[in-house]
Order: sequence, then structure tokens, then C-alpha cells
Amino acid sequence: MSETSTADGAVARRDPVKVPIRLRPVVATGAREHFAITDPPAGWDIARHPRVARVLRSRRFQFALILPNQIVFWLVIVLGLAGTVIPGLNFGTAITWYLWFCLVFVMMVTVGRAWCAMCPFGGFGEWVQRHTFWKRTQRSLGLGLKVPEPIARYGFLWSIGTFVGLTYIEEHFNIAVPGVPSATSWMVVGIVASALIFFLLFERRSFCRYFCPLTAIIGTIGAVGSAAGFRTRDRSVCLDCKTKDCMRGGESGYGCPWYTWPGSADSNLACGLCSECYKACPSQNVGFFLQRPLSSVIAPLRRRADVAWGIVILWGLVLFQQVNAFTPYATTDSWLNRELHFPGYPDPVSYFGIIAVIALAMAGIAWGTARALARRDLPWHTVGRTFLERRTRFRAFFLPMAYGLIPVVGADYFARQLPKFFKHVSRLIPAIGHPLGFGSTHSPLYNVRLLGNPQIIAVQVAVIAAGTLAAVFTSWRIANRDLAPIAAHPRVARWIAVGTAVACGLAAGSLYVFMNAAS
Amino acid sequence: MSLTEILGREALAPHVTVLVDRCAGCQECIVRCPTGALTLEPDTWTAVADDTLCVGCRQCVRTCPFAAITVAGALVTAPRCDPAIHHPVPLLGDRTETRRGLHSWADALPEASRCLECPDPTCVRGCPAHNDIPGFIAALAEGDLDGAHQVLRRTSILPDVCSRVCDQALQCEGACSWSLAGGTPVAIGALERFVTDNAPAPPLGLSSELGQGLEVAVVGSGPAGAAAAWALAEAGAQVTVFEKDEVPGGLLRWGIPDFTLPAALAVRPWEALVRAGVHLRCGTTVRVEEMDGLLAGHDAVIVANGAGSPLVPPVPGTDLDAVWDASRFLTEAGDALATGRPLPGLGGDRDGSQPGRVPTVLVLGGGNTAMDVARSARRLGAHAICVDWMDRRFAPVRPDELEEAEAEGVEVRFTTTLERLEGRGGRVSTAWLCRTRQERADRRPQVQGGSAQPQAVDLVVMAMGYRIDPEMARRWPGVPLAKLVPELPEREWLGSGLFANPAPPYARHQPVGRLAVGRESTRRLAALPRAERLWVVGDALVGPSTVVEAMAQGKEAALAVLERSPRRPGRSPRPGPRRVLVAYESRGGRTAAAAGMVADELTARGAAVRVLPLAQVGVPELSQADLVAIGTWVEGAVVAGVGPARATRAWLRRLPRLGDLPVAVFCTYGVAPRGTLSQLRAALQGKGARVVAEGAFRGHARDPIARQAAARFAAVVGERLDEELADRSPVEVSPATA
Repeated sequence: MSETSTADGAVARRDPVKVPIRLRPVVATGAREHFAITDPPAGWDIARHPRVARVLRSRRFQFALILPNQIVFWLVIVLGLAGTVIPGLNFGTAITWYLWFCLVFVMMVTVGRAWCAMCPFGGFGEWVQRHTFWKRTQRSLGLGLKVPEPIARYGFLWSIGTFVGLTYIEEHFNIAVPGVPSATSWMVVGIVASALIFFLLFERRSFCRYFCPLTAIIGTIGAVGSAAGFRTRDRSVCLDCKTKDCMRGGESGYGCPWYTWPGSADSNLACGLCSECYKACPSQNVGFFLQRPLSSVIAPLRRRADVAWGIVILWGLVLFQQVNAFTPYATTDSWLNRELHFPGYPDPVSYFGIIAVIALAMAGIAWGTARALARRDLPWHTVGRTFLERRTRFRAFFLPMAYGLIPVVGADYFARQLPKFFKHVSRLIPAIGHPLGFGSTHSPLYNVRLLGNPQIIAVQVAVIAAGTLAAVFTSWRIANRDLAPIAAHPRVARWIAVGTAVACGLAAGSLYVFMNAAS
Repeated sequence: MSLTEILGREALAPHVTVLVDRCAGCQECIVRCPTGALTLEPDTWTAVADDTLCVGCRQCVRTCPFAAITVAGALVTAPRCDPAIHHPVPLLGDRTETRRGLHSWADALPEASRCLECPDPTCVRGCPAHNDIPGFIAALAEGDLDGAHQVLRRTSILPDVCSRVCDQALQCEGACSWSLAGGTPVAIGALERFVTDNAPAPPLGLSSELGQGLEVAVVGSGPAGAAAAWALAEAGAQVTVFEKDEVPGGLLRWGIPDFTLPAALAVRPWEALVRAGVHLRCGTTVRVEEMDGLLAGHDAVIVANGAGSPLVPPVPGTDLDAVWDASRFLTEAGDALATGRPLPGLGGDRDGSQPGRVPTVLVLGGGNTAMDVARSARRLGAHAICVDWMDRRFAPVRPDELEEAEAEGVEVRFTTTLERLEGRGGRVSTAWLCRTRQERADRRPQVQGGSAQPQAVDLVVMAMGYRIDPEMARRWPGVPLAKLVPELPEREWLGSGLFANPAPPYARHQPVGRLAVGRESTRRLAALPRAERLWVVGDALVGPSTVVEAMAQGKEAALAVLERSPRRPGRSPRPGPRRVLVAYESRGGRTAAAAGMVADELTARGAAVRVLPLAQVGVPELSQADLVAIGTWVEGAVVAGVGPARATRAWLRRLPRLGDLPVAVFCTYGVAPRGTLSQLRAALQGKGARVVAEGAFRGHARDPIARQAAARFAAVVGERLDEELADRSPVEVSPATA
């Protein structure tokens, strides 16, 4: 292609406003070193492939991802309310709890936020907010408010809260297994409605970024995935860019709905894979990068307190979901309900109490480690005023240790879904056939189990073992980089981090053995 | 939440909060912070703020793409120093300026020190001429008056005029960072006037040789004509200016009274221009139908003859002799005040029966011109009544102008309109006025039936506005231009934060960002010719506008003339390479590759070629090209209809009039281009372009046959370019198929 050339003086006239613009120099020093550890390999940019580029550049790309899920979840709503009350035969219950939840975990541990790219809940809200299915519109519907700073400063903790709350509702109303089809419908309606309200109140994907019950769990556990997301190809181009179309929106793409800048993204935590930045960039400087598994767990230098607390709370929640299969818990819960006059399972004290105790216990391990091992010669002043900004001695140990546990927490959630999948997923076929008149509880597939209980336990334990091994790896790597320099006894710090991961894996694995593949 | 937050921080020192959850370390705030209060924290790659340096201007808040910064607390700035208003006593016959400049350095320096010297100054975007406002104020603050004047003169030839007549609240001052933050802006107009009042105007000197050998005619000597002539003369072009009046200055001379703009200031640039060799032919009217003759004798023509057709209310009685338009009144009133003679038609004692009777002038309109008329009438001893059917809240008049007029005894009646005029023998005796009602600014006022009241008047002056000569609108379709405000402004403008406060209080709650972008659209469009070698600027292009906008457009057109450097038939062509713009819309890369091949071929033929995606092509790019080659991929199904890509069609719809610009079109296709080329041709011809070559290429860029076809197409384009497009019929090059 010909070199672009202009006649003398032409450029000067083009924008005389540029003459008096005297922007301060961009701080680029240290950028290379800062991001070297988190940048995916340059050759792993699959958007370099023309066909991939063509797909990503298409404005219909995300619409095509969302549409099938949109259809499925509207069917879930309709059939959950209007279909059979037999949970296993109802399409809503069957696809949501036997297949979808399991698939979401598969997607998050392999890709990251793949589900977010195709999510029908956020997708529906976004269609309404943009009042288009795929076009680039310049005016949005709704108030376009920004999430206030006092709320936004807690990051993903709101999402952790809504996930814990929604799980409580699911447990309390027995929505999943054996399940109540209409309750599944109402739950989906509730998510869609709340998403819609938030999309009309706030700008961009504020709902997905802060309040969606799944965003924190997908973001944190998705860190083990192999999609780095949309990142810069050449950081100096991004730093020199005067327009920031990827953030503000350009002719062809919206500003990042997730508040992520490809120029500084150091993990796939908040990349919704929507490809808007790719479309908007006027310099074709955004690529879609793959990364080695676990990269987004190990690499980030900027570890977030909300993510760390989220991990230990999620760990508490999933352990609760294991513990609640045992008789001592049932006895305790019944006793609490009786004493507190609470009408049904689970008692809030036991539910939230167990989660809090486990989360605080994990934090306590980090606190104890920090107290015992932190180097005395380092100035451990508290820095920062807000929750996310604050840096303390405790956090210096807690954040890396919590990040190291991500694989085992993710594995535990995945393993928790497996009994439902292996026992009931075959019911999906009769459930699909039932509204059409050829599926029933007598269908051969209705009572087929893909695996028996011993095999399910074996798979669960294998999953936990894999997660534990990964957590040992991540904890070791993270401890080497982040804990060793600040610990008086680096070796001890490493072993505590790794030992915590091993202990978590052992606890989860042994619980699965005793649970006997309970759903 | 801290105690200070609970108590409310608005009265306290500024406090910046960076939301690290959303801060991406993009540094948009850091590079634009006027005080350097924001820096990058390298460990977390987020912005951090130093409250002690913050002045609360909130530039960071406005420029952060992710709304990750909040600032609490008051604006840290000194009170603004405004010059006093002079109220002449006695008013009768007075011609002295009512608005005075800053009195001394003691006033100017503190005001100059209020300027933050913003790194991305929004005031510059608010100024239609894009004056380097922080630059001249910085020079002024250092006591360098000449330096400040030179900075202003880089972009404006009329800083002395603009500082007096601009409505700064809707322009530079409304867009000042302090204004956008809800405070009181720097008195930019007053500082500009201080500079021009106290420093000699630099002489017109030759700044380049771009215009050597170029002969240009400029029609009209108002601000647009003066700016065009100045820019051309600076570049060494031979300029002839045709002015219908006996004195140059146009609207500046007759449209603005001396008490607002002294006549000497309106004439001053012309003295410099004539000294520099510009031929000024006063008393020479050039009618629209005479433009062809003018073009035959000059290489380029710039039409800057204003919008001179007054709007006449559709009511009985406006044909009476005592009904004048504002330009006639202001011209004659100016002469009357200058000479001390009474204004004809303004005798209060008509028949000798009422000696000492004060005549009444009824001014139709409530804008700035109406106030000028009424205030002139007051100085001639008449009672002046302004009537406007709009509500006072929505009136298109500067508040200070209205205030001064009322202080001088002008009776301004809003929500009042003229129903009819009565009179005999050409004289007006009675105006019947009735009430109107207007609830909202965007609603047309409604006349209240049965409310007509008689008003004895002696003279009626129509000051409701002007429009361009209908003959011009017929001759050049699309004129007058509308100000275009795109839904998505250019991101440089968006990034400056100009749009973050859509309605600053100081700007009378007007959308300064949108207003600035609208003005910018017409400034840029002024660079495009309306016909071959003919440009239209100023009020003639956009209808009644402002002095500074007209000046900016005049300069823009002059620079476009210099860049294109056209030659009339019979003269040797312009030296230097031809400029070709190859613009393409590509999806899979095939059209981009074809555009590259066409560009390579044209470059090999000696042309200076720019290759740009269609989305990046705007008026500036088009105005710089001698020829544009537009390429697109083909969209659609063969059976259902094939045409240019949707994005290309959208781009073509947004395209302004191209004024006989030669255009070559090509497309790349897979199966068949069908009607793509004809659709492209029709769309471009509809925009006034001349399609000189067409080509359709099939196959990939690596395909040698496709390369040959592209080379053949480029060769034809090159030939057409070399021949100065002598043959106007399009040439069919292909379809060249692989």
C-alpha cells in the first residue's frame, strides 16, 4: 500500500485547535516492565486471523451469541410457569439446573467470561438500553447514571452479596433440585427485571460489572481460563491515543461496557469479551489474546481486595453447600429454626454464619501468617483511604494467598454441579419433548444416569484433585513473587500458602467422598 | 465516609477521589490537569491526586472516560474583574463606546492570572476562530503585550473587533474550564481587548509563497471578506476585493453602531490590506449572475457579500415609506450621528402643529441588531420601542445588551407582535400591537386574539433578521448551510470535556459544546467550493451569523484556495504534485488492498496520495484533495439487489455538497457488482461531484489480473487528473474480472 503523504501545510490547517493543545506528557516509563508479566504473548492474538477478525468486527457477533440464549431463557420462563410441575420433566428446571449451570462453569474455567458475552440477562438489558439489537447507536435509553463512588468503591463485593443472597433464596425455596419449575421461572424473571432496571438507571453494563449475581464468581474463577480477552497490541499506541474510542465509544463500537481499558488490562477479570473495544479502536491496536491457563490468577500485580474477599466468601458458600448434606448440619439447622422461629431451611444464622466463619477463618490464616512472618524492617503503614485502595500488612499476605486458592474454589464449584449433571441431564430430552407431546416420566431417558454414585464421586474427587494441584501451582508461584520478598521466612510463607491450598483441596475432596454424590 | 464529606465539602478546599475500581490508568485526566495535581501511581497503574495542588476546576471529572474521578469542594479562583459599563450623559448625539476595556495592568494582570492555561483548553474550541487563548493570556501575564497580540493575530485578524462584539458567554468564556465547572470564567474578551487597545497591530507581512501567481477575487469587504483577503495576501496572492459600498468594512461599518464598535476599527484592517497591495474596488456591486464573468478573469472567487435580504413581517402596512430595514436605519443613523444632521423621516413635528414632540421609532425584533437600532434612535432623540413576539426568557439577545438598552431608555416589549400598520402618504401613524404567549423556547409563540392595542409611531424599523439573496440559494444548492451537530462529536472534542457540562450557568444554560461543534461544522464546510473555483463564506454561506464565525470561514476558504491553488482556463497549471485522496470502505481487506494498488499507481505517476478508510474522511480531507477516489465493497444478494456497502451509503448520505469535485469510484466484488457503480455515481452527482472514472475489480489483491485491472483504473484516473478533467464524461474501465 502506498505511503500516506500530504502536501505541506495541509495538516496544520486540518485542525487548528491542535495548535494550542499542550497536553502533559503521558507517563510511559515503566509501562513495559509493569505489564511485561501480565501481557499475553504477542503471537497469541487470534484476531490476527482474517476470519476471526471479520467475525469480531461484525456488529452482529454478540447478537448472534446472545440470541439463542435469549430464546432458551424466555422458554424457561414460559415453560416454567405454564409447563408441567414435575421438575425433571420441565424444560425450565432441566436446562437451568442440570445443564446450564454446569456449562457456565465449564466455560469459565476454560475461557473466562464467555458466558457474559452471550448472557441473555445482560443482553436483554443492553438491547433496551441501546434500543437496538446490534447497531451502534449514539443515544441510549434510560438515565445513564454512573454507579456512585461510595458503592462502586466496593467493586465485586456487591455481586458476591447478590450471589450469596440468591443462593440462599434458591436453597430456601428449593428452586434447583429436586426443584420447583415456577420458582425457576420467577428467579429468571427476577434477574431479567432487575437487570433491566439497572440498565435503565445506570450507564453501560453497570449491572454486569457490579450487581449481577454471577459476575464476581465468573470473574474470579474465570481467571483460570485461557482467554486473556481484548488487550492492546502496542501499548505505546494506546498511551499516545488522544481519543480513547475504546473507552468513550467510536463510530463503530461502544465504549467498553465493562470499564476496562485494553491498554492497561492485566487480567481477564473485567473483560466481558463483547469486542466493542476491538470494533471501536481507530488504530486496529486491539487484539483478542489467548493466554496460558491460570495466567490471570498468577500474573496480576494489582491484586484486588474485593476479589480476595470474594474468593474466601465463595469458598465459604461452596463449603456450606457441602456441609449441608450432612446430618449434623440438618440437626443444627432445625434446632436454630426452632429456637429462632424461622419457618424453613436453611436458617439464616447457620447459612450466613457458616459462610462467614469459613471466610474469616481463611482471612485469619492470612492474618496469622502476616503477623508471624511479615518482615519487621519494612514500613507497614496503612496506605489508601478506600476499601479498594487500602494497603496494609494483612492485605499484603491475604490478597496473594486468596488469589492462589482460585483454582481449588473453582474446582469445588464445578464438582458441586456434577451430580446434577450426571444424574439428571438425560432428562433434558424428555423435557424438551414434553411440550411437544412425546416426553414423559416413562421415557427411557428420564431415568438414565450417565454415571453411578461411585463414579460421580470419583469424578468429583478427580476434579478437586486437579483444582488442588492447580492451586498448589498458583499458590507457589504467587508466594514466590509476592510473599517471599515481604516475609521474614520466605520458605515458611511459601509452605503456608501451598499448605492452605492443599488443606482446602483435602477438605473439599473428603467432603465429596462422604456426601456420596448428593445433589 | 469522612466527617468532611458528612458536613458537606462544597465550601471546603477541593478534594479529589479517584475510584480505583474504574480507573484504568489511561491518563486522560493526568495529561489535561491544569495544575499537575494528578499523577500516575506506577505500582497500581492508577491516577492519584494531590489535593493541595487541586483548584477544583474538575477538568479531570469531565475528561475521565470511565467516570472514575469525583471532586468535592469549592473552585479556588479569585473574583472576576469586569470592566465597567459607561452610561453616557447626555445620551443625545453621543457616539462614545459604552463598553470599556480593562483600565490598567492592575486590572488585567489579576484577571490574566485566573487563567489555568489548561493543557487541552476548551475555550479554544469554544472560540470559532480557535484563538490560542491560554497562549495570549500567558504572554499577557508575563507583561508581553506585543507577544500576546502576535498570538492573537495568528488566528484572527480582528481581535479588536471580536473583543467588542463577540458574545463570549456562548463562545470562549462559556467554554472556559471555570464556566464548565459551574463558576465564573476568565474575562477573555476583556483581556483580548486590553491587548489590542494597548499594543500596535502587527503589519501584514508575507508569511508564505503558497499564493504566488494566484489571482483571487473577493466579493464583499465584511469580516469574512477581510479575513479571506488577509490570508491570501499573506501568502502572496494577488487579491481584488469588490465592495458595493463606498467605504469598506461591510457589516462592521454599517451594521454595528459607533457606540459598540468605533468605525475606525472596522476600517483598520482595510488600510493594512490596501497598503499590502490588495486591490479594493469600492462602489462595485457584483450580482450573482455576474459571477461567471468574475471567474473567467480570476483563478478563484470568494463570495462574502453577506445576507442582505431583510425578513419582512407578513402584515399590512409594511410597504409604507416609513418602514425601513435595520441596515438602512443603522447606515443613516450612523451618518446622522457622525454629521450631527437630523435623520430624514424622524421629524417629530410632522405638520408644524406639535413643536418639541418626541418622535417614536418602533423596532420590530428583540435581538442585538434591534437593540442597536433602538439605542441609535435614542441617541437621535427619539423614543424607541422594541417589540418581539418571543418571551423575555428565550429572547435571542445578549443580556448585557438588553440591560444597556433599557438603561438608555429603550422600551422593550417582549411577547408583543405587530398586527398591522396604518398610515397615509407613505408615513406611518399607528402600529397595532398584540400580545403573544410562549411557554417554551422550542415552541412558536402564539398570538393572543383580540388583544391589539394602538401605538402611535413615526418610523418602523424591521430588525427581525436577514436571509441570503434567494438568487444565491438557487444558484448554489445547499446554501444557506445548516449547522450540523453530529450525535457523536469528534473524540478530540469529546475528550476535551467540552460536552461534560451541557449547560453551564454562565453560558445562560446554553449547550456550549453543541454550539461550538455546530460552528465548527460550518467553518470546515467553508473550505469546500460551492462550484468549480468558487467559494462562499460568511453570512452568504450560513445566513445571519456572527463576526467571528464569518471571519473564521473567510480564512478557512482562503486557505483552501491556497491549498488547491486552482488556475482559470488558459493559465499554466499549478506547480507541484496533484493531491489525490483514496478513500475506501473495506471489510475483509480486499477493498483496502485495491485502494492501496490504486494509490501506488497514482503515486508512481507523481501524485501526492493519501489513503484513508472512509470513516476517517471528513470535510478537511475532502477539501485538500484535487481528486477523490472512493472505493467500497459490494453488499447484498445478487437476486435481491447489490449495492455499495451500508457504511458507504451512510457516508455518502452525510457527505456535504462537493462543488464540482472530480471523483473516481471503484468497487470490489465477489460475484457481480450489478448496480453498485451506478448507485455510487448517482449519489455523488447528487452531491454536486463530477464522476470521472469508474472501476470494478473482482478477485483478491494478490491476483495478478485484479492488480492489472486496478492499475488500468489508476492509470485512467491519473490521466484524468493530468488533463485537468477536460473530458467530463465518465470512463468505464472494467468490469475487470479475475
